Amino acid sequence: MPIYLDNNAGAPLRVEAVAAISRLLAAGAGNPSSVHRAGQRSRRMLEAARAQVASLVGASARQLLFTSGGTESNNLAIFGALTAASRRRKIISSAIEHSSILAPLAELERRGFNLVRVAPDSDGRIDPARVQAALDSETALVTLGLANSEVGTIQDVAPLGFKCRKAGALLHVDAAQAVGRIPVDVAALRCDLMTLSGHKLGAPAGIGALYVRDFTNFAPTVFGGPHESGMRAGTPNLLGAVAFGAAAEAAMNAMEAESARISSLADSLLARLREAIPGLRLNGPTVGRLPNTLNLTFPGVLGESMLIALDLEGVEVSMGSACAAGAVEPSHVLRAMGRSVADASSSLRISLGWSNSAEDIDAVAAIIPAVWRRVADAEPLAEVSAR
Amino acid sequence: MKPRVLVAMSGGVDSSVAAALLREQDYDVVGVAMRLAPEPTTPIVKRRGTCCSHDDFEDARRVAEQMDFPFYVIDLRADFAARVVDNFVSEYLGGRTPNPCVMCNREIKFDRLRSRARALKADYIATGHYARIEQGADGRFHLLRAADDTKDQSYFLFTLGQDELSRTIFPLGAMTKTEVRARARALGLATADKPESQEICFVPDRDYASFVERRSDPAQLRPGSIVDTDGKRLADHAGVHRFTVGQRRGLGIPGGERLYVREIRPESGEIVAGRREDLESAGLVANQVSLVDDSIATCGQLSVEVKIRYRHRALPATMRVDSARRAEIRFASSGPAVTPGQACVFYRGDEVLGGGFIERAIAREQAI
Repeated sequence: MPIYLDNNAGAPLRVEAVAAISRLLAAGAGNPSSVHRAGQRSRRMLEAARAQVASLVGASARQLLFTSGGTESNNLAIFGALTAASRRRKIISSAIEHSSILAPLAELERRGFNLVRVAPDSDGRIDPARVQAALDSETALVTLGLANSEVGTIQDVAPLGFKCRKAGALLHVDAAQAVGRIPVDVAALRCDLMTLSGHKLGAPAGIGALYVRDFTNFAPTVFGGPHESGMRAGTPNLLGAVAFGAAAEAAMNAMEAESARISSLADSLLARLREAIPGLRLNGPTVGRLPNTLNLTFPGVLGESMLIALDLEGVEVSMGSACAAGAVEPSHVLRAMGRSVADASSSLRISLGWSNSAEDIDAVAAIIPAVWRRVADAEPLAEVSAR
Repeated sequence: MKPRVLVAMSGGVDSSVAAALLREQDYDVVGVAMRLAPEPTTPIVKRRGTCCSHDDFEDARRVAEQMDFPFYVIDLRADFAARVVDNFVSEYLGGRTPNPCVMCNREIKFDRLRSRARALKADYIATGHYARIEQGADGRFHLLRAADDTKDQSYFLFTLGQDELSRTIFPLGAMTKTEVRARARALGLATADKPESQEICFVPDRDYASFVERRSDPAQLRPGSIVDTDGKRLADHAGVHRFTVGQRRGLGIPGGERLYVREIRPESGEIVAGRREDLESAGLVANQVSLVDDSIATCGQLSVEVKIRYRHRALPATMRVDSARRAEIRFASSGPAVTPGQACVFYRGDEVLGGGFIERAIAREQAI
């Protein structure tokens, strides 16, 4: 059995999610909008799931829209906020966001919006003071990731909520990597919009949610039927929603114990790897990082080669953002943190999750150094042409 | 444990069948597609296929999915640019006609990819080349022409030595192209009816001159005159990289008899044009000579057949290799135009003894 250490790409389905899916499949699902009783049953299940997901982030169920996932939530948040804020033309974000933030922002820049991308420090932290400095009466939206998917850095977003509200700008927080792993509360963050993703916490891919604090600051960008309070047209993905609800509840109940356990597994893995691999470097802060995420620079090897070699040994990790079609570009996050292209090309992301056991970590702590030695020996970076 | 083989897959029918055959023979097959050429210049939206790849990789991936073995795209663009493309450009600028496929085999498939194979604990690498490897009773490896003479690619593989051959598999060596296609169809491979690729992969429009110009500093280009064998100026030209010894078209000389490029003089920028018979040579000097089995280097003068272009017939000749890895080749009878930069491969019957890169022709009635 391969050991799965790519939870930031997607977590294995939680047993609670599988059970919820099975129950729904057995009961039979209808369209929650239908008048008949099958529709009513479906609607009840959808709303129960909505409440489960909402309570994970301290939101009320009516503030939560189900979406097709994190990417859609980010797009809805950004375009929805800007459509509502008709006059303001400035957006503040950072250089280390996920592509589902970077790409819509690049599109808006092409359409004439003024985009400020705040650079992180060498640990991937965005200084709230620098965001605040850019904040003005022209700013429509501030959008920041709460926890970075590649290095796990947790941003200090809370001070910005109040400042944004005072400046009349909306604050969107992409919490896809954070929810279910660390406590997240929409009120404490004072955010206006928040992205949640199902498959990062043990639901299937294809379901996500968007928290909207106040619908007067939000306009729909997908048009059709009156689903989701008229804010996101399209028959909701009930199967995904019930799984998301069950996974969210399970993640919330297990969070304290699970994050302590995962944190100690990750710390132990890091310590053992450091001992076995001289020059190994952790990218991201020691404190203020997702407990499950280890982004590591392996000296003297190509990350691509390590990644494939590890996969063939049954250890599944990743290099930057997933792109199944192939050759991976050096991580924009590591580059923004000041790493060289060479260092970024020698880095891998190891992300633990609920399914990993202490035995997994023991095995991996032996396999990774052995693979590193073999790759460094067979394919030393000195032989590889400069990139 | 099953031997692991890293199969270089291009997305074409040959490497697809090579991988499939090895899978059927119960090897632990790992497929890789090498990303080599620089970025396509067309924007992403204009390209078919998925996010960061091109269609050929998707074809290779489909074969891997169908035959159920792992598949990865690996990024060797920097190595390819430094070791193959730059060489291609500098050879043209130096008045020679390079063979990038030979360089790609030497530098990428049988060097970088072999290092990668070791990193991935693979025992062998395999490609869809049409050539055969046989091991003699004495344990030595022999590189042989493919069974399908029309597809034989042994010419491109002369740089392989004993070490490389001992860790390489050419599953198609004994098959004809027709058999390979039939096999692909029988297996239902998505690539069964894909057309052959003919062009140099990184210059798909075949406009080598423009490619060289794009990749060089204008100061590196060497324009000059086209002269006849007596030194009389016939025309001007935009750079020696636009010419190949033996070429007839594109000389821009109106009327008169048919003229061919006889010699390129990169220092002066002169292109010497001559009649077809002026191009004939007595032999050639090759450098960077490598031998499949080094022991033959001590044999003094050898009778061989030499192939001085991929599509040429092998010519009887004698050869002698010196300690500086240069070889002097004398054709048994007068030979055709010799093109500096091209590979010169030594055969004995079906066997490849080695080869080198053509440095210069030896003119008729001229001692070396």
